Amino acid sequence: MTDPNFERRLEELLASDRVSRRRFLGRTAGAGLAVGGLGAFLAACGGVEGTADDANTATVATASHPKEAIAAWTFANWPLYMEKKLLTDFDKEFGGKVKYVEEINDNYEFFSKVRQQLQNGQPIGRDIVVLTDYMAQRWVKDGYAEPIDKKNVPNAANLVENLQTIAYDPERSYTLPYQSGAVGIGYNIKKTGRELTSIDDFFDPEFKGRVTLFSEPYDAASTVLIQQGKDPEKATIDELLEAIEVISQANDDGQFRRFTGNDYTTDLTKGNAWVCMAYSGDLVQLESDNPDLRFAYPEQGAVRFTDNMMMPAKVEHPYAAETMMNYLYEPQVAAKLAAYVNYISPVDGIKEILEQTDPEIASNELIFPSDEVAANLKNYPQLTPAEERQMREAMAQVTGA
Amino acid sequence: MSLRRRRQLVPWLLIGPGLLWLAVFFAIPLANQLYVSLQTGDPETGYQFTWAFGTYTDAIADYQEQFLRSIGYAATATILCLVIGFPLAYYTAFKARPWMRNLILLLVILPFFVSSVLRTVSWQLILFDDGWIVARFRDLGLLGDDGRLLATRTAVIAGITYNFLPFMILPLYVSLERIDRRLVEAATDLYASRASAFRHVTLPLALPGIFAGSLLTFIPACGDFINAALLGTPRQSMIGNVIQSKFLFVQDYPTAAALSFILMTFILVGVALYARLLGTKTLTDSAV
Amino acid sequence: MRTRADRVRAWFLGLWTGVALLYLFIPVFVIAAFSFNDNQGRFNFTWQGFTLRHWENPFADPDLALAMKNSLLIAGISTAIAVVLGTFMALALVRYVFRGRGATDMFVFLPLATPEVVLGASLLGLFLTMAVTTGFTTIVIAHVMFTISYVVVTVKARLEGMDRHIEEAAMDLGATEWTAIRKITLPMIAPGVLAAALLAAAISVDDYVITSFNAGQTTTFPLFIFGATRQGVPPAVNVLATGLLVIILLLLALNVMVQRRLAARDRAAMPSR
Repeated sequence: MTDPNFERRLEELLASDRVSRRRFLGRTAGAGLAVGGLGAFLAACGGVEGTADDANTATVATASHPKEAIAAWTFANWPLYMEKKLLTDFDKEFGGKVKYVEEINDNYEFFSKVRQQLQNGQPIGRDIVVLTDYMAQRWVKDGYAEPIDKKNVPNAANLVENLQTIAYDPERSYTLPYQSGAVGIGYNIKKTGRELTSIDDFFDPEFKGRVTLFSEPYDAASTVLIQQGKDPEKATIDELLEAIEVISQANDDGQFRRFTGNDYTTDLTKGNAWVCMAYSGDLVQLESDNPDLRFAYPEQGAVRFTDNMMMPAKVEHPYAAETMMNYLYEPQVAAKLAAYVNYISPVDGIKEILEQTDPEIASNELIFPSDEVAANLKNYPQLTPAEERQMREAMAQVTGA
Repeated sequence: MSLRRRRQLVPWLLIGPGLLWLAVFFAIPLANQLYVSLQTGDPETGYQFTWAFGTYTDAIADYQEQFLRSIGYAATATILCLVIGFPLAYYTAFKARPWMRNLILLLVILPFFVSSVLRTVSWQLILFDDGWIVARFRDLGLLGDDGRLLATRTAVIAGITYNFLPFMILPLYVSLERIDRRLVEAATDLYASRASAFRHVTLPLALPGIFAGSLLTFIPACGDFINAALLGTPRQSMIGNVIQSKFLFVQDYPTAAALSFILMTFILVGVALYARLLGTKTLTDSAV
Repeated sequence: MRTRADRVRAWFLGLWTGVALLYLFIPVFVIAAFSFNDNQGRFNFTWQGFTLRHWENPFADPDLALAMKNSLLIAGISTAIAVVLGTFMALALVRYVFRGRGATDMFVFLPLATPEVVLGASLLGLFLTMAVTTGFTTIVIAHVMFTISYVVVTVKARLEGMDRHIEEAAMDLGATEWTAIRKITLPMIAPGVLAAALLAAAISVDDYVITSFNAGQTTTFPLFIFGATRQGVPPAVNVLATGLLVIILLLLALNVMVQRRLAARDRAAMPSR
């Protein structure tokens, strides 16, 4: 008894030029296991398949997606992360109908939702997904992303210089930044009594029990690495584990009130926490809730996170997706998006536009950081999946989970 | 078909559709998780089925604290729910006018229609350190001068109590409402005291409700993670948080599955013991 | 004959009920209040003045409105299915002695005991294996799956210890098993079924974790809100949530009024005794 789909799957696999030999072997092993219904089910859930590319292999790829009429296609993004008018404008200009789904609530949850399809080499039914660096990196390395046909995205030339290359995607073959932000110090100046400028302030005993850190190790541990004068993008797993150990010890001393995700915003606004590890984009907005709040890019440098547009492997409407990417990289369009979401835009030349239309935003340091600050933004560490798990395991020990 | 045969078939006809639904959409997927829990490996190199019972013993050894904490918090919250919920259910069943009954029941579940994330954030906005409530608690000496309500054990337990209160109230009401008031009145005459009438008549008749309500509260509360995540600190982390983190963040699927099965085994054993303790088994059987 | 002590007791119980309901509603009041907050930034955490502007066009964000609609539809459909399946299961478990009853009894508690991530993820695995595209239907399937147990347990609490003799008498008089259930048992357990339905609807409408795995590209109200916390939950969410509660309460008030009117008319029509 063999899987009736087996031969078809085999042919599909062989036809796909992007399947490495190693992954092919992995797949056949999986398919061999997939005998009968339950067997197939067990294989699909157990994650028998998969590959481990070397973390430091630079992945450069090209693709060709011929021009075609745009019909119905799907753009998956985070809620409230888009000026919706741009979507209707896009449909009007380029035809077709974009199904815009605000379904990404969390990088991990979204990945869990589509992981098995990606591993089985099936299309996931989304043409653009927006994922944060650490997840985007994982997709690129595991072969879950489709290369971008640059011919269809000439506006990619507008990408700001300091984002043109990133370790996991040096040529931006797979990813195009959507918005960026920085991990910095959010604080309540009335409570702290002074301006904060340094990562050391998270560990100042004066603020004992009044500090929150992110539970995401890519953010928290990288910030500690910067404090130690290291570049997180080049850090080894051992250095990261040491950084987590520093956090752990301070935690044992009662330095931190909580470890948070986005929910630090209530603690900071309400004065429960005085010093929070915070995202720059939020503080622009929180200042109207509490005028005592400040944001500082740490003097040692700050971690930059970027949410990236990318196409999942086996994408069904690549041309539509690329046309949208190109559209969002038109400075006029990018300016409207930046004015709506208030994060750091990756598109060059929009400050000049906003100086005309929205001078308040154009002059905001959190949306348009100074050159000095921009030069001091660091990227996330580069880890193999196994190292990444090791780091998460260590951080989970600290946060109690 | 004989009558006897047919009467034997009836329960299966009644139970069949529901059981089938649970078998297909719950039991089969769960069996797969059991299989996963005995595998070793990682998502990149793949998993092998190795009868890895070590995952179970490691999980117990590593997360004993969170297990015990979950049980403690869930039990405390269940008792609080019973204390808060019983008088409410009693009032609704016996004292409230008929038109008020359904209104109260609806009011009890209405907050759920506002997402629990929103309600928990609201609690954060109410109970903040510099807020009115905390200040009154300090005035009354219930909190020290720099005491706080958020990010404490109290907050987590109160949060769980808040979230699961309706699960206690509805079954309680359902079983109380059934009680024939004349029985209680006759008993009052007999025992000449309200208290003993309550103890000897009302309470035993309400036992199925207490049993159902405390299980509907305790069992899901054991696996809760939202309250500990939003209202607690690492020192209040529960087993639900560990499972969530193992699955989504660390992506250690075998351990997540193993922890779940340990929790489920514990709960099933607990339910069996509790059923014996409350004697609902005999109660059920006598009713048949 | 009501004594003074009786009245005090009733009064105290009423007060307790009021306070407990207040406890349940405090955060809801805050949510409602903040739908009128004139917030300047994206966040809605501190009171910045009164405004009606968020109420002017509650459905301005079509995605949010759709999420709400999905949630209500899913709750309605899954509750209906779960209540029917669960009530029958409870009937069988309490009213009949059969081989496997004890095991089924215990089995029903298992979905309650399974952590949500595992429940959600393993169900997703099944759907993917069966090549089912996840979406609205799979959310309904999932919700029925995890609300059935709540229905069974609640209805059982009603059935347990209930007098069986009336049904037996009916059957002795020639009624079939099914007629006895329909005409006698179901009316007697109606409050239990209603309570179970309320519980199932509440759990369905509020579920986040299991839904997030099996939602495909369908968004529900809790999914939207959870994702929105990253950008700040907009007051429109408060508006829709508050509006929904107000509509439900108004419908209920209307229902109560009609019922009381009808009851009064019946009383008036009845000859005095």
